[in-house]
Amino acid sequence: MKPNSGLLVKLLSISKLRKSYGATIALNDASLDLNAGETLALMGENGAGKSTLIKILAGTVAPDGGEIHIDGQSVKLTTPILAHRLGLRFIHQELNVINSLSVAENIFLGRRYPQRFGLVNWKELHAQTQACLERIGIRHISTEHRLSKLSVGDRMLVKIAAAFLDDPAAPARIFIMDEPTAALASEESERLFKVIGELKRKGCGIIYVSHRLDEVLAIADRISVLRDGAVKAELKTSIATKSTLIEAMIGRDHVEAQQSLSPVLSESIILSVDHLNAPGLRDVSFDLHAGEILGVVGLAGSGPELLIKGLINKTNAGIVSLNGQPVMIREPADAWKLGIAIAPRERRSEGLLLMQDIASNVALPHLNKFSRLRIFLSQILQAAVAEKMGVRVRLKARNPQQKVRELSGGNQQKVMFARAVAGDPRALLLDEPTRGVDVGAKYDIYALLREIAATGVGILVVSSDYEEIIHLCSRIAIFRGGRLVDIVMNSGMTEQALLALCYGERQEQQA
Amino acid sequence: MIMLLRRYGTLIGIALVFVYFWISLPDTFVTSRNLLNITQQMSMLAVVGFTMTVVMSMGDFDLSVGAMASLSGIIAGIVFVSGGSPQIGILAALCAGVIGGAFNGFLVSYIGILPFVATLGSMTVISGLAFRLSGGKTIFGSAIPTSFSGFARGGMALWPTELIIPNLTIVALGALLLIYVLLEHTVYGRRLYSIGGNAEAARMAGVRIKPLRMAAFALSGLGASVAGLMYASRVASANPTQGASLMLDAIAAVFLGMTMSDEGQPRVLFTLAGVLILGMLGNGLTQLNVDSYVREMITGSIIIAAVAASSLSRTRIGSL
Repeated sequence: MKPNSGLLVKLLSISKLRKSYGATIALNDASLDLNAGETLALMGENGAGKSTLIKILAGTVAPDGGEIHIDGQSVKLTTPILAHRLGLRFIHQELNVINSLSVAENIFLGRRYPQRFGLVNWKELHAQTQACLERIGIRHISTEHRLSKLSVGDRMLVKIAAAFLDDPAAPARIFIMDEPTAALASEESERLFKVIGELKRKGCGIIYVSHRLDEVLAIADRISVLRDGAVKAELKTSIATKSTLIEAMIGRDHVEAQQSLSPVLSESIILSVDHLNAPGLRDVSFDLHAGEILGVVGLAGSGPELLIKGLINKTNAGIVSLNGQPVMIREPADAWKLGIAIAPRERRSEGLLLMQDIASNVALPHLNKFSRLRIFLSQILQAAVAEKMGVRVRLKARNPQQKVRELSGGNQQKVMFARAVAGDPRALLLDEPTRGVDVGAKYDIYALLREIAATGVGILVVSSDYEEIIHLCSRIAIFRGGRLVDIVMNSGMTEQALLALCYGERQEQQA
Repeated sequence: MIMLLRRYGTLIGIALVFVYFWISLPDTFVTSRNLLNITQQMSMLAVVGFTMTVVMSMGDFDLSVGAMASLSGIIAGIVFVSGGSPQIGILAALCAGVIGGAFNGFLVSYIGILPFVATLGSMTVISGLAFRLSGGKTIFGSAIPTSFSGFARGGMALWPTELIIPNLTIVALGALLLIYVLLEHTVYGRRLYSIGGNAEAARMAGVRIKPLRMAAFALSGLGASVAGLMYASRVASANPTQGASLMLDAIAAVFLGMTMSDEGQPRVLFTLAGVLILGMLGNGLTQLNVDSYVREMITGSIIIAAVAASSLSRTRIGSL
């Protein structure tokens, strides 16, 4: 598909956009142009900066620097309403809908309701909603239903439809769609692609973010690849192939960077998971061996991020065995008791008690051990353990009484590791162990994890950072669509090959 | 300066209230007898305030304590009327408190009802039950054994002085010691504060939230019934509304105390300070013949002012 005329009209132009969160740089001089009547696909690995770019355009995140031009005019997108007025429309990945309101009210969320004599014209509201839904071929959803009654997929459809609601006061010009087909059935996706075609003919521009290579190659005119916060490659779809795209996403300089580990797997199995079913996970089986670091990867939404939660909350069927004995884990407390230590993904919201001191945080899962008669708290024992574990994980703090919220991200992470190793665990379950941690602390943490593994502890690491997985792990489990599809030895693995595995490339080529 | 005010503001407040009454009531306020009298007057509030601190350390509330205090007085009274011994009456009332509290805890942790709603509901049920059991009448007179009503009148001599420490004050001190050890020096207390700090993080770190929460509510029920018995003993009678004012006062005392703690956590020694303020205010204003409605207005204003000052200084520090 080509633009209608040879003349390119620049709708949107982003130049040198910068944004950092603390020490983490999300966008580093990102620039791109969007022309009228074209679909630009935006691709990149997890953490490449796509979401930040979208949030800046949506007016929910303020950039640190750079410029945005719409129709050649410099604009400051400070609020979502302003973005809407300038003709931007979004389909966000997150399901931000209001479940207690009806389909029609969700579609009109933040818009002016049709009115008559100063009162809401409900008939008109529902009629417009109906038209809006039909535009992308949705006929099975009633406009009067509460969102809470719909399936998650249908809620997503409603959200997508909301982006196509006409607003005469601010006609839509630019659509930004973040993984819109993730929740759609194939015929619904087809219908969406048709709508995208119509929009293009009308002269709208579309920025299309997707992990699905086939889809991108089918519908995009151009592809921009984001890496490390900047657009590193722009390809015409006509000359792009899956492998050139993956290469562009990884970057050549990274391809050689890999660690040679001696992948000798111990015979003894610490943790064995058999046919685990949990929310978002289907039929997951794997063994965690003594002394190994098992990496778990997959594209965003394909399951790895749910694995640890699924393992420690008994809402599932399947057998978990520890040292060959089947065990029942109903809640995290059971896991800790069995010697399975957990370091959750969200350090601040699920990991630490920020207002409390290091000693309390380290001792929390092991209070019975650091008390007299299992009842009376022993500050001395607690502080001693925190001190000892602090040294072991190379924690930098004034003393065990320092409040955790005063520590840097890396040191907070180390408090979680200190807590994990304080009970002499047999297995460690780590979710994104270096998220938001600066580079120096990162390598410190890798060395520490290898040390712990060397003592015979089995470590499971869920991470969206492929470089980290390759650097750290002896074996790598690959998730696709909620299933664990393969476990590969990490020998001679490259980020490129790993990403291809996540996309299911190798399988297709072999088949 | 702001730090200083925040840290010691409430203590300074106590001192100011004390000094004000000392000056306004030169002959009657600061006498050892009146001070001991204040400790007795506030002993019931103290007990409920301490156990409320336990519940609030998890970030929860118990609105049913006032009704539970009334009910336990009524239960003891009914046992006495039907000829039961003081021991049986006391035991029955305490059992009712634990059961009622545990039921609150069950609703909150196992059914998942918000504490506010669950205890509001049980408050209404318990209050209704107290009226139903008593027929809406006050139980008093010869039915109340003298050994029971005598308890509140008795006390322990404070050797070597002539002063008598009231028994009720001793009960409150006992409760203080117990709750202090529980919250500050046991594994249980540490876990409660971890729930209050971040329930999800506590759960992920292996804290079994549900049984702990249930136990804390049971304890709150027990505290309320102890206070109810203390009240019944003091007035030698029981009626279905006599504990009602305890609930709001206890929550107010904990909030006043929270303004003194570093992290805005409820701590039992600070709750004691809150109880002291409310106790002195009640005693002093009554002696000054301040109308009871005006007394309520003053008390309410002081609570709002203390909490407002504390949260203002906190946001200012946070924004620095």
